[in-house]
Amino acid sequence: MTLRLTAREAGLDLPARPSRLGPTIAAIVVGVIVVLATADLDIDWSEAGAIPGELARYAGLMFAPPNWEKLPRALFEMWRSISMAWLGAMLCVVLSIPLGMLAARNVGPVWLRLPLRGLFAVIRAVPEVIIALILLTVTGLTPFTGALALGIAGIGTQGKWVYETIESAQEGAAEAVRAAGGGIAEVTRWALWPASAPALLSFALYRFEINIRTSAVLGLVGAGGIGSMLSNYTNYRQWDTVGMLLIVVVVITMIIDAISGALRRRIREGATTRGVGRIS
Amino acid sequence: MPLEAPTRPRTWRRTALVVLAVAAFTVATCIPAIGGVELDFAAIAKNWRFGAEKIGQLMQPDWTFLPRTLQPMLETLQMALVAAVASAIVSVPLTLWAARPTNPNGITRRLVRGVINVIRAVPDLVYATVLVAVIGVGALPGVITLFLFNLGIVVKLVSEAIDSADHAYLEAGRAAGGTQTQLNRVTARPQSMPLYANQWLYALELNVRVSAILGIVGAGGIGRLLDERRGFYAYDDVGLVILEILVVVIVIEVFSNLLRRRLV
Repeated sequence: MTLRLTAREAGLDLPARPSRLGPTIAAIVVGVIVVLATADLDIDWSEAGAIPGELARYAGLMFAPPNWEKLPRALFEMWRSISMAWLGAMLCVVLSIPLGMLAARNVGPVWLRLPLRGLFAVIRAVPEVIIALILLTVTGLTPFTGALALGIAGIGTQGKWVYETIESAQEGAAEAVRAAGGGIAEVTRWALWPASAPALLSFALYRFEINIRTSAVLGLVGAGGIGSMLSNYTNYRQWDTVGMLLIVVVVITMIIDAISGALRRRIREGATTRGVGRIS
Repeated sequence: MPLEAPTRPRTWRRTALVVLAVAAFTVATCIPAIGGVELDFAAIAKNWRFGAEKIGQLMQPDWTFLPRTLQPMLETLQMALVAAVASAIVSVPLTLWAARPTNPNGITRRLVRGVINVIRAVPDLVYATVLVAVIGVGALPGVITLFLFNLGIVVKLVSEAIDSADHAYLEAGRAAGGTQTQLNRVTARPQSMPLYANQWLYALELNVRVSAILGIVGAGGIGRLLDERRGFYAYDDVGLVILEILVVVIVIEVFSNLLRRRLV
């Protein structure tokens, strides 16, 4: 005869189910805030129903078929955007690696570290467009302004990544160099740099990928490049050309992402071993 | 007996090649004739005072302008929150469909990834520009822009994290006879919640920063005010708005770091 008993019937002392009261209350509070925020937004919900139809209509105007007439011009402007992104990334990396290193806990002195971290935080909070607007007064409405703005605006995040990478580098090598009589410069060169160089190079390429997207934003304020062309043709309401531009932006961005992604994987993981240690 | 050290591996040839390639690319980006950037350092030397002057003006914010900024700032925060929550809800199934361990079907996985890659490839302000032209000025194009922007980030980063992690729990579930859907619901989703929470909070932080500039193309929020005051050359007001964005961004960052420590 089999006897089926629940744990409680068998007299086992089960721990009480953990209280879910806290998380439940938190979820309700967040939910109420979200609903209130949605309801209070300045959106005309009566027209919301028509939006999918409108979007489909405009998609038809843009892509059925796109106007390829301006393609050479678009590629020219795209290369300008890529150039801005690349030079901005170079500037950003060249500035942020030394600054970020000095802001790391095991390298820089306190009086230098804290102001640098503050500077990074401030730059992170200022939108790129604002930096571009300040630079406009110096270098005018040129792609050079765009490159400078990208370079300066990126320092905030890039510097933070650099010091986080350096801080997470293992202490062992640094200690060995110190034991052999190395100062801060030697420790940086022979312990911290080799340990963090792959990550830093990978971040540098990632900065380039981010800049490709941001450079389109700067184009909207007049720094040139594909962003300027896109906003112009949107203003002229030449939708078939806008469609072509969108295709150019998407395809080229994806190609660059793929190349840069492959390079980053190669930098971080090293060469793939061919025919070595493959048993199965 | 003399010590025989192995010869140092030779990598200078490869290093030289890489350096050369980078240098060539950099030079190509500096040729204006093919669309490159014209480096104009003389302008910096000549005009840096204008920039310094502008920064000086921005540093003297006009505090009497503060009451007028509160409503747009609130709208910015609302847009950021609504978009982050909407994309968080949609991101859960999409992410599980885009990761290999939770979606072994190659065709649907590539399809979802492809769509996400296309969404990610369009810059945020480009969405905003086109959507404002289509739907009209207001908060809605801003919310849709942020929603798409967040969806791309969360789905890509979380699905990559799921891809690279170990999945003993999935194997256990499969051994117990669960279907893929059941496994995803009962094991993969709760297991990856910390990953999700981390990226959702990151998306919320980014939203505040991005929605601050969406207004420039007419997509609502504090950016509209920023652009308007800039149009009037009222740099003391612009300074105040920037300061406000700075404070809000830092507050959100501190808050989300606290939450992150609890959730992750």
